[in-house]
Amino acid sequence: MEMILKKDRLGEWAAKLRGSAEVFAPVFADDSWNFCKVEPGAELTFDHGNTVRPAKGFVFPQREVLYRFRQESGEAPQLTPTLPADGPAVVFGVRPCDGRAMVRNDKVFTCGFADPYYQARRDRVVFVGLACNAPPSPNCFCLSVGGSPHAGDGLDVLMTELDGRYHVKALTAKGKEIAGIAEALFDKAGAADSSEVEKVHAAARSHPQRSIAAMEKVAEGLKRNFDSPQWDTLAQACIGCGACTYLCPSCHCFDINDEVSSHSPLAGERVRTWDNCQFPEFTMHTSGHNPRNTTGARLRQRICHKLLYFVENHNIQQCTGCGRCISHCPVGIDIVRVANVMEEAAGQ
Amino acid sequence: MVAIEDIRARAKELLESGKVRSVLGYRRGTASVLAEPAFVTAPEDTAALVLDATCVENLALYLVNEKKRQKTQRSQDTRPLAVVAKGCDGRAITVLLQENYIKRDEVVILGVSCENGGMIDTHKLSRALRGKAATGAAFDGNGGIKVAFTAGETTVPAAEVLAARCLECTKAYPLVSDYFFGDKIDERSYSPRFTAVSAIAEKSPEERSAFWAGHFERCIRCYACRAVCPMCYCDECVVDSTSFIVNPTTSADEKACRIRWIQRSASPSENAMYHMVRAIHLAGRCTDCGECERVCPVNIPLRLLNTMLEREALEMFEYAPGLDPEQPSLISSFRDGDPNDFIR
Amino acid sequence: MSDKSSSSEAIGQADNIYLPKLARIAGIKEEVPGARGIKTFRIEFLDGDGFEHDCGQCAMISVFGKGESMISIASPPSVKEYKQFSIMRVGRVTTAIHDMKAGDIIGVRGPYGNTFPVNDWKGRNLVFIGGGVGLAPIWPVIQTAVANRSDFGKITVFYGARTSRDIMYAAELEKLRGAADVHLSVDSPEEGWEGYCGFVPANIMDKPQSADNAIAITCGPPIMIKFVIKNLSEMGFSAEQIYTTIENKMKCGVGKCGRCNAGKDYVCVKGPVYSWAQLKDMPQEY
Repeated sequence: MEMILKKDRLGEWAAKLRGSAEVFAPVFADDSWNFCKVEPGAELTFDHGNTVRPAKGFVFPQREVLYRFRQESGEAPQLTPTLPADGPAVVFGVRPCDGRAMVRNDKVFTCGFADPYYQARRDRVVFVGLACNAPPSPNCFCLSVGGSPHAGDGLDVLMTELDGRYHVKALTAKGKEIAGIAEALFDKAGAADSSEVEKVHAAARSHPQRSIAAMEKVAEGLKRNFDSPQWDTLAQACIGCGACTYLCPSCHCFDINDEVSSHSPLAGERVRTWDNCQFPEFTMHTSGHNPRNTTGARLRQRICHKLLYFVENHNIQQCTGCGRCISHCPVGIDIVRVANVMEEAAGQ
Repeated sequence: MVAIEDIRARAKELLESGKVRSVLGYRRGTASVLAEPAFVTAPEDTAALVLDATCVENLALYLVNEKKRQKTQRSQDTRPLAVVAKGCDGRAITVLLQENYIKRDEVVILGVSCENGGMIDTHKLSRALRGKAATGAAFDGNGGIKVAFTAGETTVPAAEVLAARCLECTKAYPLVSDYFFGDKIDERSYSPRFTAVSAIAEKSPEERSAFWAGHFERCIRCYACRAVCPMCYCDECVVDSTSFIVNPTTSADEKACRIRWIQRSASPSENAMYHMVRAIHLAGRCTDCGECERVCPVNIPLRLLNTMLEREALEMFEYAPGLDPEQPSLISSFRDGDPNDFIR
Repeated sequence: MSDKSSSSEAIGQADNIYLPKLARIAGIKEEVPGARGIKTFRIEFLDGDGFEHDCGQCAMISVFGKGESMISIASPPSVKEYKQFSIMRVGRVTTAIHDMKAGDIIGVRGPYGNTFPVNDWKGRNLVFIGGGVGLAPIWPVIQTAVANRSDFGKITVFYGARTSRDIMYAAELEKLRGAADVHLSVDSPEEGWEGYCGFVPANIMDKPQSADNAIAITCGPPIMIKFVIKNLSEMGFSAEQIYTTIENKMKCGVGKCGRCNAGKDYVCVKGPVYSWAQLKDMPQEY
């Protein structure tokens, strides 16, 4: 279902959607772009490059209460699951890298043991993607990891900016539904529109990006160089801050802790929070043994997980090339540089 | 004028003579507009050292990190580390010396003066470019900073993108150093000290409360602010229930009785507690390198918390941190004339 | 993104992988006293709402208000009335479990992990080598083999602990004699101890086992496993003939929290049971 939306009607579409959903879009606040709720009357424009925080927060929040527990003395504990029950949400301006990351997150959370918290949030959110006519960041490398500036995977709608208007393509049932809500605002896309979209997409693909030549060789290099002292050198500047992982659209590590609010009767919540393989104590056993007790081992884990293990388990790259980890690393650790080092080391 | 060739030459000499085991400096990176930390061990690699307005990192942090690394590794190389230090970085090193975290002979300080310049602030740069990434930033020699980005370049007045701490800096060079590069310029042309924090401090308690609540709500507890701070060198952090030092002899009782002062999850109350406790633990120790604020992924203006306490330390106790390795620490010393009207 | 408050909605426990089933502690036996004591718990699911398991699998034991801990299920799958866990007191959650009394209610999630391929071992000689609390994860295999004695060849059990007071399942080990050769050991000479004195790997060298048609199953402290594998290899056991069960720090138990991986495997899903042939090619991050 392909349609055309005149640029000045974008706000109206958001307004129509607000009747039945919370609407989010990239907003420039506190010196950075992030997905924020769009207030009535607010202008909606897309000049955001990419957001700092990825779209994963909509399906995997920093803090998720799994269930409440309460136990009167001498009785069995009462457990009350707290599945998310919020209404629908529509998120505009999601880049294809974040959409593709959603496909990776779906594999983690819905395959094998199905996570009902993730599923509840995934079901209620609609991702309206925006193709990248030019790379949003100097650190983009989606093409190297099997993505593209106009990929639709994981998105419900894909918008492409054309001259004075947006090309809007609904990709899923949810996407069709939110377009249908504002049917009157759209015009049908014609042959000229489709042709312009193709040109724009082709031009987008031809923009230079950071590049990793051959991902299979990277995987080979990672396997062969697991014990290499290179890792300590590559990680020498790393401060274990966790920015790379928390800002990554496909990183999903978490912790589970009990937060007690009362002891008699016992009451509290079992809470899931984001966690981070770059934190020193992430893999620490209760005995004090830590299988990954150096920054080199932890950096190796992150790179291997993204570019090797996930591929071995699921046949797709977990990294979608958004470049946030590179742009926001306080000390310049660069996954593209590391991947290229490992690719070179594959031959050895 | 700081001549980078002089720094490179000195670094090379220190390595060639074997006086130091490594030189910590800055070099061009691939990741962003900023320079990245360089750990130079080969004399020829000193050619890559740079010094400009993008050299924002406080390399004193690596004196701490390398010391911790040495404890776990077998290396017996006890030669000192040489480190390039700006004024704020040098004050941080001085605090580490003052607190005996490192000894004077463990570090060779290559002091550099920011003269009348300073360091760019990536958040202000982002503001000037409305979120676009900068690929280059340099003084244009005419009171401005030339900023390059993928679609072109622009020049902005230096005051718009220089870090607030640089605009307010009163001593843009380290007082303690082994080698010094540049001119020791005390008169700087920007704003008075504490300009930024005064603007907030003058607001009403309700406004301030709302200001901070709004910022702390965004905190994702990544602990980047703590990780980048050279003064946060505690192996166990009181506000982090996961940073618990455990070894094979730690008893089950110790682990079982360990108190979780602050919950792991990012909720407004826990976030506020984390930041305020950390700020108080830095009172009299923070030398305003601004790194905490730079590395925050959600742009919380953390520096304001620390400069607030720094202002109080100065006003109440005439204390400024990092000036002299022999000075006592603020929290663990007192003078007879200190205010004590709260003692009844 | 703000975190939304959630409504409470009771759903069937089968739908929620994080929600434990409730079980009552039916019996507690102190195996080993002291600061690093071991207690054996037998638990019965409330309302008969439990789960079945296979040898090698584990469960997340929940103490509400403290947390969860992944523990091997020590009873064999044939025992339906209860599930047995032998737990060493090492930290916050295990101390809370040790402080519990018969009748107290805990949470249990499971069964998690893979299983020992016991059926593949029919007709073979089994050599069990356990140390310390590591006897518990392999106990279900021992019990299954002994209960189906004619399905297996020679059964040998090596087990050692620091001192005779640290030996767990002492009475049960004695009962095995007859069906199996049992060789116990303590680390250092002890008055009144007539068994072997020395580390477990040394004990198996002292009584060398034929690798012919044999499978070795071992579990214990990492250093013990390392030397047991070395010694078994010297005795002629191939990497495919040696099995062990490893552990890693775990939180979710369902392969999502990202913490317990050794290479591409989440140990809570693809492990904890591995043959040495598999394990030696994996990153040794456990």
